[in-house]
Amino acid sequence: MLVSVLLAVVGFVAGVLGALTGIGGGVLLTPILALHFGIPIREAIGTGLVAVITTSAASSSVHLQRHTTDIRLGMTLELATALGAAVMAYLAGYFNRSVLEGLFAAFLAYSSITLLSKGGKLNEESGGWPENGEIPPYQPQRYPLGLGASLVAGGLSGLLGIGGGPIKVPVMFIFMNVPLVVATATSNFMIGVTAAASAIVYYRRGDILPGIAAPLAVGVFLGSLLGARLAPRVHTKVVMYLLVGIMLYLAGHLVSHLLRGAA
Amino acid sequence: MSQERQPAFDRAVARVLRTGAFGGFFIMLAGLILSGFVPGRVPLAVERTGVLWMLATPVVRVLVACFLFFKQKDWKYGWISLGVLVIVMLGSVFGIGEH
Repeated sequence: MLVSVLLAVVGFVAGVLGALTGIGGGVLLTPILALHFGIPIREAIGTGLVAVITTSAASSSVHLQRHTTDIRLGMTLELATALGAAVMAYLAGYFNRSVLEGLFAAFLAYSSITLLSKGGKLNEESGGWPENGEIPPYQPQRYPLGLGASLVAGGLSGLLGIGGGPIKVPVMFIFMNVPLVVATATSNFMIGVTAAASAIVYYRRGDILPGIAAPLAVGVFLGSLLGARLAPRVHTKVVMYLLVGIMLYLAGHLVSHLLRGAA
Repeated sequence: MSQERQPAFDRAVARVLRTGAFGGFFIMLAGLILSGFVPGRVPLAVERTGVLWMLATPVVRVLVACFLFFKQKDWKYGWISLGVLVIVMLGSVFGIGEH
């Protein structure tokens, strides 16, 4: 019971930070489960996916009501993300612990750098709304490129249990000519299906632990609701440095865990 | 939008996701509270139900969108949605009997 309460609190904090910065809480949860709760990395990834699906469903229902999500574009790209996610989730069963931990540490370092390079302009990323409330007309372009990038993002999601937003949002915005608000909302919309495609594989393999996933998802859900409310009032730069600090700490911890395991 | 905007379509899909997120949340919360008072396997079974509910939510979302596309005779996106559904369900074939 004590562990459940602790998991719910951890999920809550990750949910608040994730919603404030727009990166989602899942990135923090998997390494915390692996490092501080002694859960093998593959089970940690599978269990974290449940939290990812919960937050994606809750937040994309809000985006949909604002009519900022392009369902047709999202559905088309999901052909690629779901395929990548299912295949890589299957292959993750054959990757050993060290490879998964190393890749996860690399991903955390990469996310920290992208967050820092964006500076304080985080609110646009987390789904800002155009001043006049109108989205300019657009026509998505370069579908092959978008599908290719989605395949990679889906594969990463299946392998590491993360959303893949840091890949999909810039690709839709820069290469496919989609406005940023729509790209963000549509990426969020796709995360649920992408995560489900891999989560089903993890579940069948027994890599999702319901006793851990339930308190975690409950905490993340409440945390991201609060985070979304707080977002307009909190100085995002402070939150960003806090998040980058936690991610780098977790990346370093994963690497030292790896080295100790190898020695 | 890439096609004409359809607020009713957005609302229907949003309703599926909201029901899924809140439903899953309350089932898992119930399991969590039960685990504090009831011994044995019942709380874990409730938590498992919540997890499965959450995993099913995106699948139902694709199913509903697929149905709506076909209903408005938007064949192209109807077939695309059906393709997504097939790929997502492939995962349940992949995972069998391993560990």
